[in-house]
Amino acid sequence: MKKNLLKSDAVQSLIASFLCIILGLLIGFIVLLFINPTGAWDAIVAVMKNFLTYSRANLQMKNFGNTLVKTAPLLMCALSVLFAYKVGLFNIGAAGQYVAGVCASIYAALAWGWGWFPCMILAIVFGAALGAVVGLLKAYCNVNEVISGIMLNWIGLYLTNMLLTKVKESTSPYTLHIKSAAPQALLPGLGLGALFNNNQYVTIAIPLAIIAAIVILVVLEKTKFGYELKATGNNKNAAKYAGMAEKRNIILTLIIAGALAGIGGALLYLTDYEQWQCTQTSVPGMGFNGIAATFLGGLNPIGTIFASYFIQHITSGGAYVDKTMYCSQISDLISSIIIYLCGFVLFIKYAINQGIAKSEEKKLQKEKLAAAEAKGGEK
Amino acid sequence: MLLLVQYTLIFASVLLLVALGGCFSEHSGVINLGLEGIMVIGALGGALMMRYLPAGTSGFMIVILTLLAAIVFGVAYSALLAVASINFKADQTIVGTALNMLGTAGATVLVKAINTAANPDDVSSTIQYIEPKKAFIVNIGSFEFNWFMVVAVIMLIFAYVVLYKTKFGLRLMACGEHPQAADSVGIDVHKMRWAGVLISGMLGGLGGICYILAGVSEWKFENGVAGFGFLALAVMIFGQWKPTRIALAALLFGFFRALSNVYFGFDWLVSLNIPGSVYNMMPYIISLIVLALTSQHSRAPKAEGIPYDKGMR
Amino acid sequence: MESPYAIEMLHITKRFPGIIANDDITLQLKRGEIHALLGENGAGKSTLMSVLFGLYQAEEGVIKKDGKEVQIKDPNDANDLGIGMVHQHFKLVECFTVLDNIILGVEPSKHGFLQKKEAREKVLALSEKYGLQVDPDALIEDITVGMQQRTEILKMLYRDNEILIFDEPTAVLTPQEIEELMQIMKNLAAEGKSILFISHKLAEIMAVADRCTVLRKGKYIGTVETKNTTMEQLSAMMVGRNVNFHVEKKPAHPGEVILDVEGMTVASKVHKNDAVKNVSFKVRAGEIVCIAGIDGNGQTELVYGLSGLEPLKSGTITLMGKDITNASIRKRSTSGMSHIPEDRHKHGLVLDYPLEYNLILQRYFEPQFTSKAGFLKRPPIREYANRLIEEYDVRSGQGAVTPARAMSGGNQQKAIIAREIDKDPELLIAVQPTRGLDVGAIEFVHKQLVAQRDAGKAVLLVSLELDEVMDVPDRILVMYEGEIVGELDPKTTTQEELGLYMAGAKRDEVKA
Repeated sequence: MKKNLLKSDAVQSLIASFLCIILGLLIGFIVLLFINPTGAWDAIVAVMKNFLTYSRANLQMKNFGNTLVKTAPLLMCALSVLFAYKVGLFNIGAAGQYVAGVCASIYAALAWGWGWFPCMILAIVFGAALGAVVGLLKAYCNVNEVISGIMLNWIGLYLTNMLLTKVKESTSPYTLHIKSAAPQALLPGLGLGALFNNNQYVTIAIPLAIIAAIVILVVLEKTKFGYELKATGNNKNAAKYAGMAEKRNIILTLIIAGALAGIGGALLYLTDYEQWQCTQTSVPGMGFNGIAATFLGGLNPIGTIFASYFIQHITSGGAYVDKTMYCSQISDLISSIIIYLCGFVLFIKYAINQGIAKSEEKKLQKEKLAAAEAKGGEK
Repeated sequence: MLLLVQYTLIFASVLLLVALGGCFSEHSGVINLGLEGIMVIGALGGALMMRYLPAGTSGFMIVILTLLAAIVFGVAYSALLAVASINFKADQTIVGTALNMLGTAGATVLVKAINTAANPDDVSSTIQYIEPKKAFIVNIGSFEFNWFMVVAVIMLIFAYVVLYKTKFGLRLMACGEHPQAADSVGIDVHKMRWAGVLISGMLGGLGGICYILAGVSEWKFENGVAGFGFLALAVMIFGQWKPTRIALAALLFGFFRALSNVYFGFDWLVSLNIPGSVYNMMPYIISLIVLALTSQHSRAPKAEGIPYDKGMR
Repeated sequence: MESPYAIEMLHITKRFPGIIANDDITLQLKRGEIHALLGENGAGKSTLMSVLFGLYQAEEGVIKKDGKEVQIKDPNDANDLGIGMVHQHFKLVECFTVLDNIILGVEPSKHGFLQKKEAREKVLALSEKYGLQVDPDALIEDITVGMQQRTEILKMLYRDNEILIFDEPTAVLTPQEIEELMQIMKNLAAEGKSILFISHKLAEIMAVADRCTVLRKGKYIGTVETKNTTMEQLSAMMVGRNVNFHVEKKPAHPGEVILDVEGMTVASKVHKNDAVKNVSFKVRAGEIVCIAGIDGNGQTELVYGLSGLEPLKSGTITLMGKDITNASIRKRSTSGMSHIPEDRHKHGLVLDYPLEYNLILQRYFEPQFTSKAGFLKRPPIREYANRLIEEYDVRSGQGAVTPARAMSGGNQQKAIIAREIDKDPELLIAVQPTRGLDVGAIEFVHKQLVAQRDAGKAVLLVSLELDEVMDVPDRILVMYEGEIVGELDPKTTTQEELGLYMAGAKRDEVKA
């Protein structure tokens, strides 16, 4: 029975993910040891504890809420990467699509005074448009989606800086607070904040993201569209042979992926948890962390929910490390180590299967030997 | 105008070095999407060397030791890609992406730790190298000649000769085109691919240090290298994996990148009143257009991106 | 006393999980002889050669060179012992020149720099000596398959190999090129080279080999002198029973025209010429038409053009009176065209999908499998899959949910055939439907094709196997360099005549 369990792909994915996490933390710890041996353990513990650093339960809940607020957009980015990956496309452009969503939602809210729902729709449109460019270039010009995705990340970043400069505070590089300047665009809280010690940033964003994950799961597993997408991802020649519209599917997938990441941008910035810095010179890490969450989640939408939470948990935890020794980026370091290790997942699974095959063979031989002996005994 | 030429040449040198790196890796059969990260780490190596060199070091030694440090860091870092993609047959896209993130995150953590250790109030990720930078520059009139332009040309010749005139180059390209064929005549495909990736680490590291020395006298490592590793890949594709064509492509891209640094020096450009962000976007937009026009018929090494498994022959 | 054998493989046993690929096999190659190794697909020939080349290590048995035991751990050891091989799929780098390919791995060099001059002289001299006629500066992608094969031979000669192995060398050649190859092999043997010739073609073995070792299902059957044996005997040794190669079928009753192709031209992906040039033909209901020809003469592109995988440059395709020249692949499929593809792993199957999903690959969108809202209907899909599995005897580990990847080649092919035939097409295009299958499976496929014909369907068969070309169809169209150069009646033509057409030595003006 136990062996059968090990053979199941889901269990193997789970084992592989946990191995990646443990190894990632371990390697991260070793790196910290090199930098400053005295505080390394405390730093790792701080990253892992995140909001549990606080001793008071209500503060813990409040900060747990904050972590969740940022998990929602991360999950959307992760779903974006995952959805594209099922068709065999690596949507590194999720980072830029997320930025496009941020840009659309903030601008519509502040400049035009739109409500949260139309703002979100515009974020979808912007994200999808960026995804569509990648898709069109891939389908019709055979441009590698990773390279075009990166280029669009930068283009998206500069465009956003340009546009949002029009709605920024006069004295700082940050955009105006949605809460004061455009309260109509705030995402509804539905009283969810009360669960987290009246955390005003906890909104429908969190359940929306989880619903999105479930919808993606259903689309992939239960629908004709999902059947086509996965067929294309596994063998695009066979998909073409079977009359599936490969180009259309590539474009459509990237549009959906872009939309998902775009929603992610809206889900964070329409809570007013953060404001956009218009002089930003690097693409926000949200989309890249989404890649980590996707692969850590074993390329399964439900697994991705937990993986997104984990990645965000340690990212937020980075804020609690002792600033006199390390910086908060050690959590980026750990999550990038984890992505690196995710590259080995196939190998880990292979090793597990090899192990099973070997132990089964041994068992078989033992049985044979035992049978032979039993025969010998009878004689 | 001179400034434009100067910046064009220096950015072209960066792109040329890194694109040649990508070229070696891909000719051996490994897609190196981690060039961006390799650049950051190479830059880190060079910057640290400049920071810690004693004040009296001669200019020549500064240049040599800085380059060496960048090379060592770049090569060591690219080994992470090699071991994962060659020995463990990991997905080259995932690993490359991870290396890009790891490069920036790792360099930031390290530099911040160093800065904080030196001065508890300093939490920046910046390394300054105002003095040692002068060693790299020779002023010819108002033109700042940079030794990296020479390094880039040397590497271009090196790449051309190695790929087309040596035993090593022939074997390397065989591994990227048809590893089964290479294996059948006794060539160790894994070893050649390691060599290809490590050379790309060397060139990527050089490109990295060249990039941060190009315009400024200090570098904030949080910023990474702004997609230059990927621009270099675009240059490589546009150059059809051939060193000489890559050099021409690098000049073109270098020009557009240089524009964003010096456009305000041209009255007529300033009078157009285009926001600076547009110039910043230029290289990326150009590369998208160029890729759209050339990718359809590009002839990449046939076996690139496919892990070589001896059992599959 | 010196051993008369150049190489000996004695009592070789090699096991893989679940099967014994080589079971106590002995092969002794005399110096200067041409020795054939005969066996069907899966008989263990490739495994045995992999052992000889050190790709696999045998669990039992020894290898001797000139009577002395040797250890072969990797291909380099084999090279050092003077063993060379022309692989079935050439190991040539396409964008390199002939010369570069020959010297690859043993490059003459000074301080690492290539010294091609002396290499070129040696290659030209060898080429002259054995009558190989190759241009050392041509790119591999520009030369014919026959030239590529001679490049492979030169690779061995350049390395001064004494033991030359030819793995199914004739599969890709025209009958005339085969003749030339046989002559080259005889020249080589006369010069003292020892040749091992792996094949399953009896006539060729009888024509060229001195002795023949036969394998069947991983076991050693025996070694015979070809001059003391007959084809029938060899055949019996190979398959273990006398097989009836002939396909039983009633006379055809061609009906109305189902497929009408006019002036079809398809561009080539690899070179500048068109792969299919102005081809016209018809296929009627109730007949099997076979496109014969040597691999690479435009058959693949012809089928791509028909099925919609590649666009036409010019010409028209009419299916049952409807113009489908510009129709999508899906439209062609739903209009009554089925297509058993040439490469079942590339086109035919999604290997990571379970069998049931593969069985609906052409019809998943039909209302019986997909609801109006776009959801897959699982129970009908399972039922449908189980019915096909039953009807076509598709065997797999876990039935409908077995991943296609885990199935044997023969059963994968059966699954594709089941899927394509059960669509009840008016036109069935079958491209090399028996490639890589064992005798039993081949028989099954041929029966299915004939059954389709008898049910009044049009069948277009594309085949490279002469036996299949002669036995299965009612009409043969021969393709050569992208054109149809002859129409033959399989009942009246001979293999020799067919060969002349296939090699481009003979052509008619055909308006089929």
